[in-house]
Amino acid sequence: MLTYLGRRLVQGLAAMAIAITLAFVAMQLAPGDPATALLAASGATQQEVAERRQQLGLDDPLPTQCLRFLADLLRGDLGSSWLHGRPVGKMVVEQAPATIELALAASAIGAALGIGLGVLGATRRGRWCDTLATALAVVSLSTPTYWSGLLAILVFSLRLRWFPSSGAAGLHHLVLPALVLGVALAGSVARLVRVRVAEVLEMPFVTAARARGLPTRRVLAVHVLRPALGPALTVIALQTGFLLGGAVVTESVFARPGLGKLVLDAVLWRDLPVLRGVILVGAAAYTGMNLVADLAVAWLDPRLRERLLPLD
Amino acid sequence: MRDEDLSITWYAPRPRPLWRQGSALAAVVWLGIVGGSALLAPWLAPGGTLAADPARRLLPPGPSAWLGTDALGRDVLARLVWGGRWTLQMGLLGLSVAVGLGLPMGMAAGLAGPWLDAVLMRLTDALLAFPGLLLAMSVVALTGPGLLPVALAAGLAAAPSYARVARSAALEVRSQPYIEAAFAIGAGPWRILRRHILPNAAGALLSFAAAQLGWVLLTGAALNFLGLGGPPGTPEWGAMLAAGRGFLRDAPWASVFPGLALTLTVLAAHLLSDGVLEALRARR
Amino acid sequence: MVRTVRRILALLICVLLLLAACRASRSPTRIVYGLTLAPSGIDPHVNASSELGIPLTSVYDTLVYQDPANGTFVGGLAERWEISADGTIYTFYLRHGVKFHDGTPFNAEAVRANLERITSADLASQKARFMLGPYERTEVLDEYTVRIVLSEPFAPLLDSLSQVYLGMASPTAIAKWGSDYQLHQVGTGPYMFAEYVPGDHLLLRANPTYAWGPSLYQHRRAQVEEIEFRFFTDPATRSPALESGQVQIMGEIPPQDAARLADNPEFRVAAVPIPGVSLMFFLNTQRPPLDRLEVRQALLYGTDRPAIVAAVFGETSPVAYGPLAAVNWGYDPAVQSTYPYDPGQAASLLEEAGWLDHDGDGIRDQDGQSLRLDLYLMGWGYMPEVGQLLAAQWAELGIAVNSQIVSYPEALQIAGEGRHHLMPFTLSGSDPDILRRFFHSQQGFNWAKVDDAQLDAWLEEAARASTREERAALYSQVQRRVMEQALVVPIRDYVNLNGVSARVEGLRFDAQGWFPWLIDVSLAP
Repeated sequence: MLTYLGRRLVQGLAAMAIAITLAFVAMQLAPGDPATALLAASGATQQEVAERRQQLGLDDPLPTQCLRFLADLLRGDLGSSWLHGRPVGKMVVEQAPATIELALAASAIGAALGIGLGVLGATRRGRWCDTLATALAVVSLSTPTYWSGLLAILVFSLRLRWFPSSGAAGLHHLVLPALVLGVALAGSVARLVRVRVAEVLEMPFVTAARARGLPTRRVLAVHVLRPALGPALTVIALQTGFLLGGAVVTESVFARPGLGKLVLDAVLWRDLPVLRGVILVGAAAYTGMNLVADLAVAWLDPRLRERLLPLD
Repeated sequence: MRDEDLSITWYAPRPRPLWRQGSALAAVVWLGIVGGSALLAPWLAPGGTLAADPARRLLPPGPSAWLGTDALGRDVLARLVWGGRWTLQMGLLGLSVAVGLGLPMGMAAGLAGPWLDAVLMRLTDALLAFPGLLLAMSVVALTGPGLLPVALAAGLAAAPSYARVARSAALEVRSQPYIEAAFAIGAGPWRILRRHILPNAAGALLSFAAAQLGWVLLTGAALNFLGLGGPPGTPEWGAMLAAGRGFLRDAPWASVFPGLALTLTVLAAHLLSDGVLEALRARR
Repeated sequence: MVRTVRRILALLICVLLLLAACRASRSPTRIVYGLTLAPSGIDPHVNASSELGIPLTSVYDTLVYQDPANGTFVGGLAERWEISADGTIYTFYLRHGVKFHDGTPFNAEAVRANLERITSADLASQKARFMLGPYERTEVLDEYTVRIVLSEPFAPLLDSLSQVYLGMASPTAIAKWGSDYQLHQVGTGPYMFAEYVPGDHLLLRANPTYAWGPSLYQHRRAQVEEIEFRFFTDPATRSPALESGQVQIMGEIPPQDAARLADNPEFRVAAVPIPGVSLMFFLNTQRPPLDRLEVRQALLYGTDRPAIVAAVFGETSPVAYGPLAAVNWGYDPAVQSTYPYDPGQAASLLEEAGWLDHDGDGIRDQDGQSLRLDLYLMGWGYMPEVGQLLAAQWAELGIAVNSQIVSYPEALQIAGEGRHHLMPFTLSGSDPDILRRFFHSQQGFNWAKVDDAQLDAWLEEAARASTREERAALYSQVQRRVMEQALVVPIRDYVNLNGVSARVEGLRFDAQGWFPWLIDVSLAP
C-alpha cells in the first residue's frame, strides 16, 4: 500500500512539473509584458522599465528562465510576487483556509443534494417526479454562480437578513456561498447518479436481492448505490479539486478571501511567481482528489479493486 | 416496509423509441426553434441588434419590445434570436472538442494497462491544474480573438474532466463478466468496444456530455466576462446574462430571459440524451 | 461538599455573565467601510493601487497637505518649507514632538530613511519612486530640518509629498519587519494599523496620542474607535451590503443603485468628483485614416456625448469636453465650446477628406478601402458600454468600428506598437502634470502618438515653472491645443459615488478625491 501511495506521489510531482512548464509557455504566448504593466501608469521611463525587466530576470533567454522557474521550486523557494511584493508561500497559506472551508462545505452540500436528487429521479423514473428532478438539476447546473449568488444575496441577506453576504469570519458567513456553490455542483452529480442508478435498478442482481426479501432501504443503499456511484464520485472529486484551486466568481460575489482572486490577478498581471505557486496548489489538489476518488471507488466496488489499486 | 410506501419504480416502463417519448420530442422541438430562429435571424429580427438606442433603455416587456429592452436600449427578444447562433456554435464546438478529446483518452485509460492509465491520468491532472483563463488566453494568442476560440478553449478545459468520467464508466463496464466472456471467445478489442463497452457505458457518457454542454456555455460566458471573446455587445446568451445582472433589481428581464434560454437549451440536451438512451434500450 | 461546589459554580457563572455584560456594553464604536478592489499589496511605498490609500491615508501623515477647496498646501509633518530660487532644493522644517505609533520619534533622519527606502532598487517601488521625479538625494541638516535635492526643478513635488504614497513610516518598523512590513505598518497618523488579513479585512484603531494634525482636520483626535475595511470587488453586491447594514460606507456604487439609494432616507450618496484625466478615447494620429485632422474632428462632431453619459451614468457624471477633469486646478473652461454635437458638420468634414459611400453598403470608403476603425478597450470602468454607444453613433455617420476587449498588459503592448485607432483610458491625479504623461511625445502613455514640439515644450516648462499662475496658463494652452488637434474624444469626468449610512457624519475627502479623512468621521447612535 505504501509503495502504491509513494508511486502516486511521484507521479503527482511529475504532473506538477508538466503543469508549471505548460504555464510558463502559455505566459510567453500571452501578449503584454509584466514590467510594463506594473510601471506604465506611474510614469516610468523606458529605461526604468528596462531596468525592472532585468531585475525580474525577464531578459534572460527563455530556456534559462524556465529552468530557473523549475529549479527554484525544487529548492523550495517559491519567490516573491512581482505585483504584491510579498513572498508567494505566505500569500498562498493566508488565502488557503477560506478556500478549503468553502471547497469542502460546497462539495459536501453538492454531493448530498446531488445524490439525493439523482436517486429520487431514478427511483421514480418515467413519472413527473423524474422530469422535475431533471429540470431542477439542469437549472442548477446551467445557472452561473454570479447570477445565483447575487439572487441569494438579494433574498437571504438583504430581504430576510438571515445571513451576511461578505467576509469569511465564521460559519455564519459560509452558509450562503457554500449553498450557492453546492447547488451549482449538485446538478451534474444528480444527473450522473440518476442515469447510473436507473441502469443498475434494471440489473438481475437487484431483483435477486429483493427476491431474497431484503428491505428496500438496504437494497438501495448497498446493492444499488455502490456500483452506481463510480462516475458520480469522479465528478465530485473533480469539482472539489477545482474548488480547492479557488472559486474566483463566488469569492468575488461574496467578498471572501481565497486563491481564486490570486490566480486571476496572476494571470491578468503576468505575475509568474504567484502563478507558479497557485498551479502547485492546484496540481496537488487534483492529484490528491483523484487519488481519493480512485480509493473510494475501489472501496465501493470490489470488482474494480485489482484494477485500480495494483498493489504489487 | 412495503415498496408502495416508498413508491419506487423498480421496473421501468417498456422502453419506447425516440418518437414516442414526450419529453424527448419537446426537447427536439425546442432545439428546432432555437436552430431555426438562429438560421432565420436576418428575417426574424432585421436591422441587427447591435445598434444601441439609449432613449429606450430598460423598458419592461410590452408591445414595443416583447421581452423588454436592455441597459443600452436594445430589444431583448431580437438579441436572443441572434444570440442563438453564437450560443449554438459555441456549444457545439466546445462539446465536440471536449468529447472528441476526452472520450478516446478516457477509454484508453480505462481499458488499456495500468501504465497507460497512469500516464494519461497524470496528464489530466496537469491539465486540470492549469487555470482556464490562462488556457483561453493562450488559445486566443494563437488563433486571434473571437467567441469561437473561447469555445475551443472551454472545450479543451472540459476534456480532462470528460476523460476522467469516461475512464470511470469504462472501468465499470470492463469489470463485468460478459466482457471477460467476450475476450475468452476471441472477439477483437474494437468489436468489444463497439458492441459491448460503448453501449453499456452510454448512460454516463451521454449524461455527462449534456452536463458538459452547460459547463462549456457557462465557461465561455465567464471568459467573456473576464475580457476574452468577441466584440463587446455580441448578443451571446451568456454574455447577455452577465451584462444584465447589474440591473437585476430594476430590470430583471434583461438577465432572466437569456438565462432561461440557456437553461432550456441545456435541459433539451439532457432530455434528448435520456431519450436516446431509452431508444437504444428499445432497440435491444 | 457537593453543595459547596454547586455554590462556587453558580458564583463563577454570575461573575462571568457580569463580565460579559460589561464587555458587551463597552464594545468600541465601529464603522465598516467597503473598498472596491482587494488591493494587490498595500505598502504605499511599493504598490500603486488607489484602494490602499483609502485606509492608509489615516495611518500615515505626510510632510504637507493639500486643501481640496483651492489646491493650496498647508503644513503637516513639516511646519513650513522653503524652495530655492532655481526650484531644485526644498528645505523642510519639521514639527517637534511627533511620535510614530511604536514610540519612535519622528525627525529628519526618519524622513531620510523613508525617502531612501522608496528610491532603493531593492524595494521595486511601483509608484512612489516615480512621484519624486528627478530626485537626487536627501540631506539631514539638523534633527528637525531636512533638505530634498532634485537634479532639475519639479513643480509637482509638493503635490506628491502630500499623498499617502510618500507618507512617513517608522524606520524602526521598516527595519524590523523587512519584506513583511505590509502586514505591520506603522505611521504617525490618527489611526493605527491593527490587523490585515489579505482579501478579508483590514482593521484600523484610533491613535489615542495623536496631537499634530494639519489645520485641514476639523478634529484633534479620531472620533470612531475602530474602522474595518472589507473588499467588495463585485459592483452588484455593493449596494445590497450597504442596505443590509453590513457596511456603513461603500465606495463606487453603480449609477443605477445610486439612484435608488438617494431616494432612501436611511442613506445618502456622497458624489465626489475625482481629479485627473477624464475618460477619453485616444485617436492614433499616426495611423490612417486618423492621420487626417478632418477625420478626427468629424469623430468629435459626430459624438453626442451628453446622450452617452446620460445612458451609462445617468445624472451622476458631468460630460467631459477636454482632457483634464473640470475639478482640477488648471482646468480651462474654454474647451467646453469645442465640438458640440453636429452630425451635419461631421458628415461634411468626412466628405472633404474624401470619404463617401461609393458602394452603398452604409460604410464610407475611399480608393476601395472602407472606413473601419480598430477600437481596443479594457473591460472595466464602463468602457465597453461607452464603446458600444460610440460605435452605434458613428455607424450612423457611415463609420464602422471593430471593437475588441483586451487585458491591460495587452492594451499597453498594442498602444506601444500603434496598432490601434482608438483606445480609451482614465487616470486620477491632482496635479495637471498628469497631462504630460499622455501627451508628451516621449512618454509611454502617449496613446495618440502625438509628436508636437510645441506641446512638449509647454508640458516640460509647466513641470518646471515655479508659480501656479504660470503653470495654469501653460496647461490652458495644452488643453486647447489637444482639442484643436482633436487628439482625444473626451467622454466624462470620473465621479466616485459613495453610499453612506445616514448615521455617518463628517465624511470628507482629500484633494485626490479618493481618500477620506477618517479623523473627522463620527457615527450617530
